[in-house]
Amino acid sequence: MSTATVEQRLQKIWETPKGLWGWFATVDHKEIGVRYLVTAFTFLVIGGVEALIMRLQLARADQALLTPSMYDQLFTMHGVTMILWYASPILSGFANYLIPLMIGSRDMAFPRLNAFSYWSFLLSGVLLYIAPCLGQAPHGGWFAYVPLTNIAYSPGYGMDIYALSIIYLTISTTAGAINFIVTILRLRAPGMTISRMPLFLYSTLTVSTVIVFAMPSLTVACVFLLLDRHWGTHFFHVAGGGYPLLWQALFWFWGHPWVYVIFLPATGMISMIIPVFSRRPIVGYPYVAISTVLTGVVGFSVFVHHMFAVGMSDMAMSFFSAGSMTISIFTAVQVFAWIATVWTGRPVMTTAMHFAMGSVALLVIGGLNGIFTAVIPVDWQVHDTYFVVAHLHYVLIGSNVFPVFAAFYYWIPKITGRLMDEKLGKWSFWVMFIGFNLGFFPMHLAGFAGMPRRVYTYPAGLGLQPLNMLATIGAFILGLGMLMSVVNLIESLRHGRVAGKNPWNADSLEWETDSPPAPYGTVHIPTVASRHPLWDDHEEEYDPDNLRTLDYDRVTLASTWRDAEPYAISKMPMETLAPLLLAIALFIFFTAMVFELLWIALAGVILTFAAGCFWLWPRPRPARLEVSA
Amino acid sequence: MNTVANSYVENVHKPLPTVLDQDRGTFAMLLVIFTELFLFISLFFSYFMLENNKHRWSFNNPPKLGYALVMVVVLVTSSFVLHWGEKQVEKESRLAGRIALAATIVIGLVFLTLQSFEYLSHWKTLAPYSDSYGSIFYAITTFHAAHVIVGLLLLSYVLALPRYAPARESPYRPYHVAAMYWHFVDIIWLFVVGILYIGANYHL
Repeated sequence: MSTATVEQRLQKIWETPKGLWGWFATVDHKEIGVRYLVTAFTFLVIGGVEALIMRLQLARADQALLTPSMYDQLFTMHGVTMILWYASPILSGFANYLIPLMIGSRDMAFPRLNAFSYWSFLLSGVLLYIAPCLGQAPHGGWFAYVPLTNIAYSPGYGMDIYALSIIYLTISTTAGAINFIVTILRLRAPGMTISRMPLFLYSTLTVSTVIVFAMPSLTVACVFLLLDRHWGTHFFHVAGGGYPLLWQALFWFWGHPWVYVIFLPATGMISMIIPVFSRRPIVGYPYVAISTVLTGVVGFSVFVHHMFAVGMSDMAMSFFSAGSMTISIFTAVQVFAWIATVWTGRPVMTTAMHFAMGSVALLVIGGLNGIFTAVIPVDWQVHDTYFVVAHLHYVLIGSNVFPVFAAFYYWIPKITGRLMDEKLGKWSFWVMFIGFNLGFFPMHLAGFAGMPRRVYTYPAGLGLQPLNMLATIGAFILGLGMLMSVVNLIESLRHGRVAGKNPWNADSLEWETDSPPAPYGTVHIPTVASRHPLWDDHEEEYDPDNLRTLDYDRVTLASTWRDAEPYAISKMPMETLAPLLLAIALFIFFTAMVFELLWIALAGVILTFAAGCFWLWPRPRPARLEVSA
Repeated sequence: MNTVANSYVENVHKPLPTVLDQDRGTFAMLLVIFTELFLFISLFFSYFMLENNKHRWSFNNPPKLGYALVMVVVLVTSSFVLHWGEKQVEKESRLAGRIALAATIVIGLVFLTLQSFEYLSHWKTLAPYSDSYGSIFYAITTFHAAHVIVGLLLLSYVLALPRYAPARESPYRPYHVAAMYWHFVDIIWLFVVGILYIGANYHL
C-alpha cells in the first residue's frame, strides 16, 4: 500500500463533513481553534472601541461627551470584555490549534468537550452583551465590589447579567482547562518526555491547573452576589452580619491567579518565538520551565495585594507583600533567559521577533511598576489612581496583546498557509509600540499627580489636561497600529507568499505538518528525540512500513505522562451536535435566571440533562470509517 | 544541533499498542473533583470568614446533630454499597453491580428526603434571610444537596446504559467514573457535618 492511500484514508477518517451540519457539529481542534481566535479577537475590537470612546471623553477637561453613568458602564464592559472574554480565550485559541500539532497528536483529548468550551464561551459573551443592548450594562467596575453592586445601589439587570455570564464562562473555561491538562499529559508523541516539552506546553499546563483551582472561587462569589441581590441573603450585608470584604477575598483569590492565566501562556509563546529567531535553543530551558510552574503556584499567595487599602493585620500584609515581590523573581528568570538567548544567538529581526522583544520591554516596565505597588506605603499612595491603570495595562498589553500579535505573525502562516507582509508588519509594530507608550506612560504621571481612576472627567486647572490628551492620542495610534495588522492579515489571505511547511525553520513539531495542516495532522505519529525535534538530525516520521499511521479508525496514541511511552490507543469521537445543544441549554438556563423566569430556567436544567445524556449515550461508529485497507 | 538517541529511532519500528485507552475519563473526573473541591473550600472559607461576625449570629441554638449524623451513616453506607458493586462489575458479575447501583440510588434518595426533613425542622429557627449565618448554612448544605442530585443523575445514567455497548468498552469505566464522583460527594458531607454541625455545637 502506498502513502497516497494512507493519506486518503486518514483524510476520510478525520475530515469534517461539508455543509451546515458539519459546521455546527465539528470537533476538529483546528476549526475550533480558529473560531476561538476570531471570536476572541472580535471581543478585543469591541473592548478596544469602548476604551477609545472613554479616551475621547477624557481627552480634555470637563467634557460632556458621556454621562457619568455611561462612562461607568463603558469602563466596566471594557474591563470585563478584555480580561474574561478576550485575553484568556485568545490564548485558548492558539492552544487549541497548536497543542495537538505540537505534541504530534491527532486531536485534543476530549474533542467534544472542546467544542462545548467554544460554544459556551461564545454564548456567555452573547449573554454579557445582552446587557448593553438593554441599556443596563453592569457599572460596578470589572471587579464589581459590594456594596455598590448590591440591589440597593445597582438596580436593574446589569449586575445579574455580569454574575450569570461569568458563572457560565467559568464552566467553559474549566472544561477547556481540564481538556488541556489531559491532552498535554496523555497524548504526547513517543519520546516527548516531560523534559522535552515545548515551553508553551509548560505554560498552558500551569495555567490550566491554576484555572481548575481558582475558578470555583469566582463562581461562589457570583452566586453569593446573586443570592444577596434577589433572594434576601446577607453574605455581604453588614446589617445582616455579612462581610463586604468576603466578596473581595473570593474575587481576588480567583482574580490574581487569573492575571497569570492571561500572562503565562503568552510568555510561553515568547519562549517559543525568541529562540527560533535567535537561531539557537533557549538559554536555561529547565529554569524557564520551573519558573513558569512556580509563577502559577506562588500566584495564589499574592492576591491580597489588591486589598492592601482595606485595613488588614500587619502580618497578613507583610506576607502578601513578600509574596508579591517573590513572584517577580520567577518573571525575572524568564526575562533574563530571553535576553541571554537573543544576546548569544544570531537574531533575525522578523515582525514576530519585533513583537516578542517589544513585549519583553513592556513587560519589564510593567513588572517594575508592579513592584512599586507591592510595596505597601507606595501602594497606599497610588491606590485607585491612574498609576494602577498604567501598571495593569503595561502588564496586560505588554504580556498579552504584544505576544499575541507576535504569535499571529509567527503562526498565522501555519493556519492560513500564507505569510503576512513583513514590511507592513514592522510598521504596524512600531506604530503600536509608540502609540502604546505614548498612551500609557503619561498615566503613571497622572496617577502620581492624583488623578483617580474610574472618574468620568476632571476639572481644568489641575495640570492633568496635557497628560490625558497625550494618552488619548496614544490610544488612537495604538488602535491604528492594530488596524494595520488586521489589514495585513486580510491582504495576506489573497496575496501573501505561500508559507510552505516550515517558513521560519522552527524547531517544534507543528511545523512538520502542511500549512494549513491536514485534518489529521501528520501522516505518521512522530517520534521525538530531543527538545528541538526539527533541528536534530532525526526523521520524526521515519516509518517505511507504515506501522505508525493509525489509519483504521478515528484514534490517536496515548502515552505516559512523564516519559511519553506509548501504552494505549485513544478512540476519538465523531462529529456531533451535542456540545452545541448542551451550550444552548445552559444559555437558556442562565438567560432565564437573569429575568427570573424560573419555569424556563427549570426547563433549561432539564434540557441540560437531556443534552448531557444525548452526548454520552454510546453509539456505533459510522459507516464511513469502514475503509478497506 | 543535537545528536539523536538511538533508542528512540528503534522505537519507531516497534508496532503501536493495540489496547484501548480506558482511563482518560477517570483522569478528567479527577480534575472535575479537584475543581469541585475548591468550590467547597471557597464555601468553607466564606463560612470561617463570616464566623468573625459570630457575635451577631443567632447562635444560641446551633443546628441539632440528630439528622446530620443519621445522614452521615446513610451516605457512608451508600458509598460502601457502591464500592462493593464496582468490585462485582470488575469481576464481570454485572447483575450484582446493577443491584448495588440501584441500592445506592435509593439510599441517595433517602439522604435527600432526610435533608428536606432537616430543613423543615431547621427553618423555624433559621432561614437564609435571617442573618449571614443562615445564608452560609443554607448555601453550603444546598450546594452539597445539588451535588448529591448530580451524583444521582450520573448513577441513574450508568444504570440506564444499554448492555449492547460494544464489548470492547467495559461497562466498568462509566461505573467507576460515576462512583468516583459519588464518593467525593460523600466525603464532602463529612466535612459539612464536621464544620457546620459538630464544630458549631462544641464551639470548636
